[in-house]
Amino acid sequence: MTDIANEQKPVVPAIPKGRSSGDAETIPVTQQTIQTLTKRVLELLFLLMFISTLLFFLLRLTGDPAAVLAGETGDQEQLELIRKQYGLDKPLIVQYGVFLYKMVQLDFGSSLANAQDALGLVFERLPTSFTLVIIAFTANLIVSIPLGAWLGSRPDRTGRKLAATAVFIAQGIPGYIIGLLLIQLFAVELRWLPSIGNQGILSWIMPAITLAAFQAPQVVRVISANVAEAMREDYIRTARANGAGFNTLLWRHALKNAMLGATALIGAQVSFLVGGSIITEVIFAWPGIGRLLVTSVQTLDFPVVQAAVFMIAIFVYFAITMTDIVFLFIDPRLRRQRA
Amino acid sequence: MSIVSESAADAARTALSGDTILSVKDLVVEFPRPGQPTNFRAVNGVSFDLRQGETLGLVGESGSGKSMTALSLLGIVPAPGKIIEGSINLRDRRIDDLPVNELRRVRGNDIGMVFQDPMTGLNPVRSVGSQLTESAMRHQNVSKREALEIAYHALDDVGIPAPRERLQAFPHELSGGLRQRVMIALALINHPEVIIADEATTALDATIQAQILDLFRERLSVATMILITHDMGVAAEICDRIMVMYAGRIVETGTIEEVLTSPRHPYTVGLLSAVPKFDIRRPKLVPIPGIPPTAEDIVRGCPFAPRCRFAESKCDDRPALEYTDGRLLACWNPRSATEQPQ
Repeated sequence: MTDIANEQKPVVPAIPKGRSSGDAETIPVTQQTIQTLTKRVLELLFLLMFISTLLFFLLRLTGDPAAVLAGETGDQEQLELIRKQYGLDKPLIVQYGVFLYKMVQLDFGSSLANAQDALGLVFERLPTSFTLVIIAFTANLIVSIPLGAWLGSRPDRTGRKLAATAVFIAQGIPGYIIGLLLIQLFAVELRWLPSIGNQGILSWIMPAITLAAFQAPQVVRVISANVAEAMREDYIRTARANGAGFNTLLWRHALKNAMLGATALIGAQVSFLVGGSIITEVIFAWPGIGRLLVTSVQTLDFPVVQAAVFMIAIFVYFAITMTDIVFLFIDPRLRRQRA
Repeated sequence: MSIVSESAADAARTALSGDTILSVKDLVVEFPRPGQPTNFRAVNGVSFDLRQGETLGLVGESGSGKSMTALSLLGIVPAPGKIIEGSINLRDRRIDDLPVNELRRVRGNDIGMVFQDPMTGLNPVRSVGSQLTESAMRHQNVSKREALEIAYHALDDVGIPAPRERLQAFPHELSGGLRQRVMIALALINHPEVIIADEATTALDATIQAQILDLFRERLSVATMILITHDMGVAAEICDRIMVMYAGRIVETGTIEEVLTSPRHPYTVGLLSAVPKFDIRRPKLVPIPGIPPTAEDIVRGCPFAPRCRFAESKCDDRPALEYTDGRLLACWNPRSATEQPQ
């Protein structure tokens, strides 16, 4: 556990120092960041405990790993042997105790399929998955924020109405359909991009677009709605009365306010990205955690499933924490609460 | 369709000395009425001159067109409203037909505006300093550092304590009175020739309202200002001259003494009777019966006639704003000069 906690820590110094208001009743943003992080890490520990427990019992309910290991040819004697070897002969509560004890030491056991260390297997695939998610997430924001702001700035214009309709329709298309359509067009018809696995830089394009498509339409719509609302606010009229041009009004006044609501959504939607990345990795045979998880569930490879879910839970939690911290920076009203 | 006759305008011009800074002629602002062939005239043929150093009160009920008149001076009438007739001249320059990029140089630079609600009128996620410097940098062509210094002085000038620290404050960290002072600082930062204060004290507590009025009196007594208010008491405090608006038209104008002591238009009489006075024995306020015409109503004749005790058959024709017994009025049946306000 400590290893993982340490991995998250570099976040703290990376954050620039907050301006001190000079007001005794307010606390600096760095201190609030540390408080938020500490609270989140504690919450995370409880969450991991809960998820692991849930997972442990759910997996035990779904099938007998010994039967999987023994294969179709295995007889009763082999089953007994395997059960003994993996401690599956003991009462469930004892198995749970052993599982917890080992989990605290970050020992998830070995893969039932190939005897490799389960966590090691997950870590091996982590960078590929993580990079894909980051690329998709960044691409999504780079496209969605300006697009949403543009759509929301003058929602009554015809061009924008058409674009908003297109986004609305896109929201209704499941991400995996977009993945399949991309493969059909760019891999099958045009033969421009590889459709399977990670074969270099071109391989990243379609999975990243597919994954971004899980989140993008909603982000565009929320930002567009928020910007449209912000553009009607009194402070926009004040800025206009002081000679601010359209671009200043939109980018410097309205968008910043619009981002408040949108950040909450974007943070909450990172879980969509995880779900989306599992589907995307299966579609594109991507060598990441998502595909590993699906394969492991199919083969009842409990240790790997547990290790993978464990890492995914940490990732989602990390993303939510980051959202909270971003909030502290963009919303001064949260930043300077009384201690 | 000139509401003010030429001779009347000339007479008004000579009534008070000082150069004319802002001249509005026959201003009409229209909003489309959904599903109806005719538009709604929020401002209907308003003409007035604003002279150097004068504080002109624009008084009337909500919806009488006061704010729309003010917004049209800056060319920021909210869509889909539009100025469709008339002209606005700032000194010798016509400003109502300027292209947007030139009009933007007028806004906040030649004409500064203070809005009603300081709670919503400042951007909640940007510091006071950044909102002030944005305007200073835009109009005065200065660096960020110089703009901060200008902003500091602007806050100091409107009596904000510890202005250096307040530059970094966000609007929610300031009280309503301080926020309104920031709004005033923002309107004044580029030293505009004309200041428009649109219900600048309405949203404030009575004590804070008194402070802001003091601020206007002390720092802006020589400023050329249009003060929009529905409160005759506020107008009486600081205005030199008053224009009473009703349903998009000016119905009576005069010096503050004239209007307060001998109102001639029945609407002005009604407005004054609805103001609480603590120095007279009869405590009962007299409301004006009925409501002003709304955007849906199509008004023929005198718009005040349905609520007027003195309405006659000739009120079915619209009265023009004309000199009547030495006073500029739009009424067929004005109250006599000797009659006491009710």
